[in-house]
Amino acid sequence: MSSLCLQRLQEERKKWRKDHPFGFFAKPTRKPDGTMDLQRWEAGIPGKQGTLWADGLYPLTIEYPDEYPSKPPKVKLPANFYHPNVYPSGTICLSILNEDQDWRPAITLKQICLGIQDLLDSPNPNSPAQEPAWRAFSRNKAEYEKKVVIQAKQYTK
Amino acid sequence: MEGLEHIVSLIETLYSPTGSARADDLNAIQQQLQSIQKSSDGTSLANALLSSEAVSDNVKYFGALTLTVRINMLTSDSESDPMFLWGLLKWNLIHLANLTQRYLENNLSKSSLVIIKKLMSNLSLIFIDINSKKPNEIREDAPVTHWNNPVNSLIVMLAFSGQRWNQINADDLSVNGMLIEMLNKEIAYTDVMNFSSLTALHNEVLLMFTEIIVEDLTKFQSKKHTMLFIHTVVHQHLYVTSIALLTENLKSLTTNKNITTVETIFNTTNAWINYASMTRAASPMDMNSVFENLIGVMVQTNETNNTYELATKILSILGNVFDNDPAMIGFELRQELECIFLGISRVAGNVDNSKYQWMLQYMNFLVTNACFTELKELSVCVVDFLQINTLDLCNKLFTTVQKLDSPQHLQQEYIKVLLQLTNFPLTPVLEESFSVKMVEFWLDLSDAFSNQPHDILLPEASNIAVEIFLQVVNIYLPKISLLNKQKIIASDEDEDDAFLHEFDDFRSAVLDLTQSLWTILGNNHLTNSLISGIGMSDASQLQGTSADYFGFYGIESMCFLLDKLLIDMTLSESSWIFNILAKNEYFVKNILLLFQTGVGIDASNKSSMTLKLDFVKSSSFLIGTLASYFVVAPQELSLCVETLFQGLQSCTISTGPHRNLHGKLETIIVKTISQLCEMCRSQLATYLFHFMDIFKTLIQPDVTVSSFGRGKMARSIGYVIEGYAGHGPDEQAKYIDQFLDLLITNIDQCLNMPPPVNVQQIDYVHSLLNCISEFGSALIHPEDSDDPQYLSKLSAFHQFWASDPLNCRAKILSVLERVLTHPGYNQNSGFIEVSCLLLGKTLTLPDDDPHFLRFSMNEITEFILSHLTISPYSTALPYFAYLLEKLVSHYKNLLTSQDFDILFQKVFLNYYDDYLCRDPDLLQAMVNFVISVLDTKPSILINSASFSNFVVPIFIKLLPSQERFTISAVTKFWTKLINNKKYTQEDSITTKRCIISVGQDVVSQTFYGLYHTQRSDLNSYTDMIRALVAKFPLETKQWLIAVLPQLCDKPQTHEAFINKLFVTRGSRAAGNVILTWWLECQSLPSY
Repeated sequence: MSSLCLQRLQEERKKWRKDHPFGFFAKPTRKPDGTMDLQRWEAGIPGKQGTLWADGLYPLTIEYPDEYPSKPPKVKLPANFYHPNVYPSGTICLSILNEDQDWRPAITLKQICLGIQDLLDSPNPNSPAQEPAWRAFSRNKAEYEKKVVIQAKQYTK
Repeated sequence: MEGLEHIVSLIETLYSPTGSARADDLNAIQQQLQSIQKSSDGTSLANALLSSEAVSDNVKYFGALTLTVRINMLTSDSESDPMFLWGLLKWNLIHLANLTQRYLENNLSKSSLVIIKKLMSNLSLIFIDINSKKPNEIREDAPVTHWNNPVNSLIVMLAFSGQRWNQINADDLSVNGMLIEMLNKEIAYTDVMNFSSLTALHNEVLLMFTEIIVEDLTKFQSKKHTMLFIHTVVHQHLYVTSIALLTENLKSLTTNKNITTVETIFNTTNAWINYASMTRAASPMDMNSVFENLIGVMVQTNETNNTYELATKILSILGNVFDNDPAMIGFELRQELECIFLGISRVAGNVDNSKYQWMLQYMNFLVTNACFTELKELSVCVVDFLQINTLDLCNKLFTTVQKLDSPQHLQQEYIKVLLQLTNFPLTPVLEESFSVKMVEFWLDLSDAFSNQPHDILLPEASNIAVEIFLQVVNIYLPKISLLNKQKIIASDEDEDDAFLHEFDDFRSAVLDLTQSLWTILGNNHLTNSLISGIGMSDASQLQGTSADYFGFYGIESMCFLLDKLLIDMTLSESSWIFNILAKNEYFVKNILLLFQTGVGIDASNKSSMTLKLDFVKSSSFLIGTLASYFVVAPQELSLCVETLFQGLQSCTISTGPHRNLHGKLETIIVKTISQLCEMCRSQLATYLFHFMDIFKTLIQPDVTVSSFGRGKMARSIGYVIEGYAGHGPDEQAKYIDQFLDLLITNIDQCLNMPPPVNVQQIDYVHSLLNCISEFGSALIHPEDSDDPQYLSKLSAFHQFWASDPLNCRAKILSVLERVLTHPGYNQNSGFIEVSCLLLGKTLTLPDDDPHFLRFSMNEITEFILSHLTISPYSTALPYFAYLLEKLVSHYKNLLTSQDFDILFQKVFLNYYDDYLCRDPDLLQAMVNFVISVLDTKPSILINSASFSNFVVPIFIKLLPSQERFTISAVTKFWTKLINNKKYTQEDSITTKRCIISVGQDVVSQTFYGLYHTQRSDLNSYTDMIRALVAKFPLETKQWLIAVLPQLCDKPQTHEAFINKLFVTRGSRAAGNVILTWWLECQSLPSY
């Protein structure tokens, strides 16, 4: 890991601990020897209140490449997560996480987490990443909503 | 320029708060005024307005604003005329001097201050502009080449010029010379002090001016890269004047009764600290005298003089510095602060306890008067301060580094104070924030300790660490108690839940800290003490004795922390857990009591609802985590399951206003039951009939239980029946059959009800079918299981399920048939989906895994073909197509090209004209199915009749589609057809021949589509073109030469494109080449 990457990740950790939105969590994982792995984080995104997603706390893994912050982190929800903009592998299709689109080195972990929380209830139908959720969202809202509610129960807070 | 009176009237209309002008008119006025501001008459207008004594402050402000517009026009033009700049500087100076002179003489109202501030801001912009130029950029003919100190210039103009600035004729040439001379005239320190001490207004004006300048400097730093020079100028001149001013002001702060002045002093101090912090790398400016004065003022404040408000403001400033740039404050001052905050220093030496007395009195005042916001401010400042020294403290406490200046006993004393601070005796979040903020400090200290190299640690370091951190845990346990949460809810008058969220966040932070401390404290000191805390004595003695659940709050806190510690441990392989639980006989019982207490709470208000949910959540989560322990110690497993069932029952019979709460409880409980059943499947075998009885109740239509809850229970029973695998297929199948009968009977009862069918019935039947699917998933034998009994019976299982003597599969197919042909149900695509899930359940399993849902290829294809005709095609096709994909993948070695032709014809081609060709989603489903065959076993497709008769010609036609999703699917098909790693040699020859024969058409349609598509869809074609270039370079070149001229008449663009494209040889760079060609063809710019 480059010193720039290390420095920035330490800064991100400090910032997050000082100021993060309520209900969210994010922390570096630990290596088998108990030391902290700053390049691999685990996080939880609560569904927005008043939406179908509200009951869930959705787990994320965040992997920071050596080139961070020049390159964005890879952010994943669990595999087979039901959402039009989440690939079957769990990788999230969001412009601020795409190096070729809106990623900027100044984007913080807090912005990423809030961006994902927003995306949950406001999918982008023009960027489908999986067929079942995208199809249901576009053509059968009732079915889509039913599945989102069941998924929220799977990830109960 | 229009008449001045008319303009004045327009300005008055624009600024009139109660004006009757319509929005359209106001817009028109604004545009008209803006165009005058930007015109060559702008400066004259501004001067006229600012010089006139007959106009209102609004009009004068507009004049000052017009000068801002002129300055901004100037600063955006690097080649501007220096005389223009001088003109603006001159006018701004004269107007500022005039208005300030009159303001200081009390001839102007307070409201004119806004005009003065605007003029100061204008001068600040000019100051930045003049000093941002590099030496070689300064023009020799400029009247002003440098300007050192605007504050001094103002003092000179007001105190030493002897001028009445409202009588000055600015056009008089001698005025220019006079002003230029005044601009950089040096004045002594005493002159500044004398001026500022004339009146409070004189002082305030100077403070305001310096504040405005440094705020602008801070604001513009990020926008301008040429500002490095100016910081040196500021450091040498303005800094000297301003710090002298601030020092004098701070010294008299406690006696200053003028609220406005005090406010200005703090604003100016903040502005200078922010500026000095920003420029520390470029031109470090020492702010210690300011900090020293601030601290001096702070410790002079007291209750008697009513000056604690000053202390709060100073603590806020200091907190900001500790958070953002702690090194700004020198070591000696930090040491002084340490003594003030803690009454002790980590470094040996004299400690001024009188100042610590101030801290104690201040805290006492805040606590006594319930000034919790101020107390929070103090905690933020103190903890941010402490965090500066975490590493140093860690070194002194635990290592051999820096021992000389820091006796061990001093460090121990120091830690004692920090522990006392953490254990601040009030309700966290609601009343005190020390404990909340200190979590970060302890986390940092524990991280620092864990990351120390072992060779520098003191021999007793581990013991010291254990002693300290164990106390930390013991302090936090009562702090995170739900009792405190109850107090927060009770006091939440606004009901905005902010404190409640903050408290939950605090609990999570303590959880993180505990996990981190485990690496230091280990099971011996941490996990064991939590287990003992929960299970040492019988909590049932607490029941009924206290209405406030007193004893259970402690148990809940410990369960909450313990769960996270145990979650990553493999309890079934740990002898430690048995030993410790043997010593704590009430451990499981007390967790269950906590659960029962939670379930039993009457949720009559927000407070009790929250408590109920939290008690059930913490206890259920821990029971679930203990599942792997119960595998080897199942004595109390049945008690757990029974208690959970009782809890579940209480949720299901509840309806009405608390349904939402009960829904949450149901989800938590049913997930825990499922977790226990999955882990302890064989240990729960004897409870199967009990499970079945409960399930029978749960699937009654009138029971309030969610589809999720039913599904999870079905899955739980499935796990237990799967645990019977060792008993052989007959016994297991008997239970499977009973379970299926139970569900099918209920489904049939519902199907047989007289019409009309309502939504509840549809949901009910769907949830029961979903139960079969969940049950089927649970019956999949775990991959990692090596149960010898099961392995010895594997062939018997194969034979059993191949013949299916109990007709389980037939029963399922039959009930699906009844549902899907029922007019009340068969229009709902949810039933198709769940049917396809059931039929495809085992298609992803290895062949040698026996399962009651292992349907044959014929059964599945017959099901698809028979139901396709009676289901709504548009909504059903995606599910059938998905099932077909899995079928082809699983039975690829049995499936022939002829089979494929039949399926393709019946599932897709028969519906092509009526449905598929009109619906891009269905088209996409068809193309994706074809791609999946190419991915699985290409020969099935490329040797089929459909391939040459339909797929190739139609998929060529689809290339220039208008629909993004069709384009992306069909280009993916062609990419896969051109380049496919699954090809055999024979496949490669066949597809190569095919591509060469249709290549011209493919390229023609692709480039036609590409040429006419939107920019955002270009990428869909890129991979396909890259594959063509890489695999068929010579042919593709010729095809392109023939095709491109037909698209547009740009021969040079096409030639360059072809040359560049083939240089890339199909690499990623081809994407840019294609984009460039497209842009040039569309005559669009390439940015």
